[in-house]
Amino acid sequence: MKKLILSLLCSIAVNIQAQERIILLNEGNWQSDNGKISYFEDGEIVSNQWFRDANKRKLGDTPNDIIQINEDLIAITINWSNIIQFISPDGKRVAETEDVPNNRKLATDGRYVYVSSYGHECGTINGYEMFTKGYVAKIDIHTFEVVATCEVGYEPEGIAYYKGHLFVANTGGYAFQEDHEYETTVSIIDAETMQLVRDVDTGQINLYGKLSQSGQYLCINSPGDYYDIPAATVIFDCEAALAGSDDCFVVLEYASTYSCTMLDGNFLAIGARFSYYTSEYKFNYVVIDPREVLATEGAGGVEESLPGTMLDDLMELGMPYGVYVNPYTGYIYATDAGSFAAAGALIQWSPEGVFLGRHKVYINPAHFLALPPDGMEFTGIESATNDAKPTTSYGIYDMRGVRMDGLSTRGIYIDNGKKIYKH
Amino acid sequence: MYKTRQHVIRCAAMLLLAAQVMTASAQLSLDSIQVLDEVTITSKQSSRTMATSQTLQGEELQALSNTSVADALKYFAGVQIKDYGGLGGLKTVNVRSLGAQHVGIYVDGIRITNAQNGTVDLGKFSLSTMESVSLYNANKLDHCQSASEYASGATVYLRTRRPTKDSLSVQLRRASFTTYMAKANVQFERKGWSGFIDGEWTDSRGDYPFRYHSEYEDTVGRRANSDIRYGRIEGALFKGGFSSHIYYYDSERGCPGGIVRRLSDKYVNVGREWDRDFFVQASYQAHFKEHHHVKVNAKYTNEYLRYCTDYPENQNTARVDNHYYQQDGYGALCYAFTPWQWLSLSASYDVRYSKLAADLKKFDDVFRLDQKQVMAAQVNWQGLQAAASLLHQHYRDVTFAHVGAADPLERWTPAVSTAYTWEGLTLRAWYKKIFRAPTLNDLYYTQVGNRNLKPEYTKQLNMGVEYHFDSPHWNASVQADAYQNKIENRIVCLPLKGTYTWSMMNYGYTFCRGLNATAQGRYHTDDWQFSLLGSLTWQRDVNRTDPEDEDTYDKPICYSPTLSSGVTAIVGWRSLQFTTSYLYVGERMWSYADPEDVLKPYHNIDMKLTYTLPMDKTQWGVCLEVCDLLDIQYEHIPRYPMPGRNYKLTLSFGI
Repeated sequence: MKKLILSLLCSIAVNIQAQERIILLNEGNWQSDNGKISYFEDGEIVSNQWFRDANKRKLGDTPNDIIQINEDLIAITINWSNIIQFISPDGKRVAETEDVPNNRKLATDGRYVYVSSYGHECGTINGYEMFTKGYVAKIDIHTFEVVATCEVGYEPEGIAYYKGHLFVANTGGYAFQEDHEYETTVSIIDAETMQLVRDVDTGQINLYGKLSQSGQYLCINSPGDYYDIPAATVIFDCEAALAGSDDCFVVLEYASTYSCTMLDGNFLAIGARFSYYTSEYKFNYVVIDPREVLATEGAGGVEESLPGTMLDDLMELGMPYGVYVNPYTGYIYATDAGSFAAAGALIQWSPEGVFLGRHKVYINPAHFLALPPDGMEFTGIESATNDAKPTTSYGIYDMRGVRMDGLSTRGIYIDNGKKIYKH
Repeated sequence: MYKTRQHVIRCAAMLLLAAQVMTASAQLSLDSIQVLDEVTITSKQSSRTMATSQTLQGEELQALSNTSVADALKYFAGVQIKDYGGLGGLKTVNVRSLGAQHVGIYVDGIRITNAQNGTVDLGKFSLSTMESVSLYNANKLDHCQSASEYASGATVYLRTRRPTKDSLSVQLRRASFTTYMAKANVQFERKGWSGFIDGEWTDSRGDYPFRYHSEYEDTVGRRANSDIRYGRIEGALFKGGFSSHIYYYDSERGCPGGIVRRLSDKYVNVGREWDRDFFVQASYQAHFKEHHHVKVNAKYTNEYLRYCTDYPENQNTARVDNHYYQQDGYGALCYAFTPWQWLSLSASYDVRYSKLAADLKKFDDVFRLDQKQVMAAQVNWQGLQAAASLLHQHYRDVTFAHVGAADPLERWTPAVSTAYTWEGLTLRAWYKKIFRAPTLNDLYYTQVGNRNLKPEYTKQLNMGVEYHFDSPHWNASVQADAYQNKIENRIVCLPLKGTYTWSMMNYGYTFCRGLNATAQGRYHTDDWQFSLLGSLTWQRDVNRTDPEDEDTYDKPICYSPTLSSGVTAIVGWRSLQFTTSYLYVGERMWSYADPEDVLKPYHNIDMKLTYTLPMDKTQWGVCLEVCDLLDIQYEHIPRYPMPGRNYKLTLSFGI
């Protein structure tokens, strides 16, 4: 893994120190207006109120997701403030909109930002639109206005962009309060037209939490209903889904409450299965190889081991609250929410799982974004595909997963599962 | 009064005997109620020095600027009020950091219950029908009290006023933030029977202005969805040892959320809450054959709560429309035996049957049978007093909910008190161990309930000194108590590791040391009347949960101030009365995460001016109040602002 990075770094032949730059959203407490951003650089917390420092104002209540759109722009959903905040990579405000209330998670193709919402109304360039269920809004990053929407299932959560399509995990999470059942579907939307292509029924309820993407594969958590239906993980193949196959996912009997994509394209997932009936509680930690899982229909591809000392370190955490691998460098991170009234912590490991440090952040540290190391340009790398088992040539893709006919512009591309740099 | 008190101090048991004699003789006289009352007060006085207590009563209680019981309690030492702001904001009281659920609120000796969450919203109770409000740390130590009175860490007694004459009074009020209030009270006294009917109607828009000003924001606004309207009607009937009370309260209010960053006012909280509370209670006590004292209590409570966010304006958050129904039947039997003048023995049995129903998913009716027995003994001998009690509690739940009922809970808990009095000076010490059982919400509430919860224990140790001085014009008292509390197995809601869910859990250990002090002085002549009341609380309560966690271990408990104090001065001249109250509450932290996560200290000054004009047989009155005179912006809960300066103008008429 490290070799890959080294070769990458050598290949671009730029004078870089491998700089770790992590933006971390601390959710704070609900209705306390204390969402804060921590900024971590090369082994140190630079600030636990990075947004306040840069803008002399508060971020808002319960930030929920963060994504980099291009080299100049980052979007943050601030759920209970009903704000989508756009900032530059140095933390300065660029714009904000309240057109998408109860916003949840973000995806991008570099030109538009796509945001899922539990709400039923949306301010668009054509006026207010109403929905019975939840929806996805498409925001133009030139105007910061919603240019199109698409209604999906109730309470849509995780969202991923792949080959011109959006894959949206529906939860139906208000089923406990409202008069509808949990959702079980992944909605596929044509990103350009914002028309629903189809819903894939996974048979698993409540597809809740941030999903992880590794090229064509998604790792989607289903916490179940905490009573009769236990937690599960859905490994989803976007390519197969786009081809029209109903056989495009496999269900694993693990919770992936917190998951991320590793540098080799595998998923790292931790979570617990819990039932209020029994108060029984089963913690799990796994590395999932999506290809293997899909190829063997779940019989293989799951390893109950984590790199280095990670597992022991994770078990010591008061309350694991997020896990992340820097897609540029492979360094591994997790957060500990601790006692929830005290400051949480950011824990760092080397790509091999060597514990590097624990840093005090703020309440409920949850959502990560790595900035490209100095000298490296923003690539949009959220993940890379698995280089472990090269099969036939898949062609060259850009970081959004769009197949390229020829490489004309400078940047990082993926060729047969490996990152390549075009000068 | 002075004479009586001395008498009591010397030999309280004599009084018990005297009480019986007086009661017996009272049956022959028309002012029997007066006589009985006198006895109740004095006999309480004897035990009050052994228990740590504070009382506001009569004119002083009415002289305070208050709209609810919470406003009176905030002047007591050791009390922390939690208030979500505005007339409709939930108001609960916490004593010596034990937590709101360890504070029992009693109306005429019978507890106000909430089977659902165990806390009482003090905003629902008016002071206009109350003769006195008292706070007892640990036990009150009447010689004949119900078992449930021994079952809370701290007890607040609201004592209803017994009318002594026929009267009618009407009050009309206009107050800030579009608030209107009308109140009427009719009372009578006939042939030993007395009673009243008291009704109140209030409507308030509650749109008070607030401002948050710091380095990172300058937020100015008006509270939205903070309105409330309520009606309350209650009545009481007394005769001799019989007292009864009937109460009905009906309200609708908006539930404003915390003030958070928003780009505009487009999205506001739309949640609304309806409450309908009803109770009827009766109590009868009698002495017979000189040595025996019996008390019987009965109560029925019916409470309804609806919370709704299902409105067309709400396109953005979960659409909830839930209804909760609680019913509660209660009975108590108390018996006290006084074989000799210096000894009193008592035994009491309480039974309470509660039912909670709600239209939540994965929830079904829950029933609880709660039984308590207590055995207690009190000795009063030559200025030396001692009391000991042993309480047995037994809880048993039945539910149709699929999660199943918790295992029955059974525990014994003790309390001991002792005091020595000499020439008006009392030294006292007491210890009490008590627990609160997990509430029905804690155990069964959908998606948080945990039926494996253990009870939350408190252990209190207190040493105090009290001094009284009385003369024909002067009257003064001071008391100071040092205390140490330990709270174990706190019942809190915590997230579950590795899931998105939360659950009630036993987590936390609190260690608290503090000092409460109060001083009162009164001077009166024919025309003039002066009162000065002061209270001071110094407290250091720390989190002793996790020795490994240096961020929280031995750090102060959130929301608890180290220092708070209050001073009230009342000046009366003929029919003019002026009251000014000053309250200081020190800095409180609300999270351990950042030194900036603190609630700023605040000073509050309230003023009240009353003028009463007698005309023929009628009385006309006008009253002007200013609350938060300096317009201090403060909060008890982060992002829930309290109203700043506000005014009340009240006109009253009485026959």
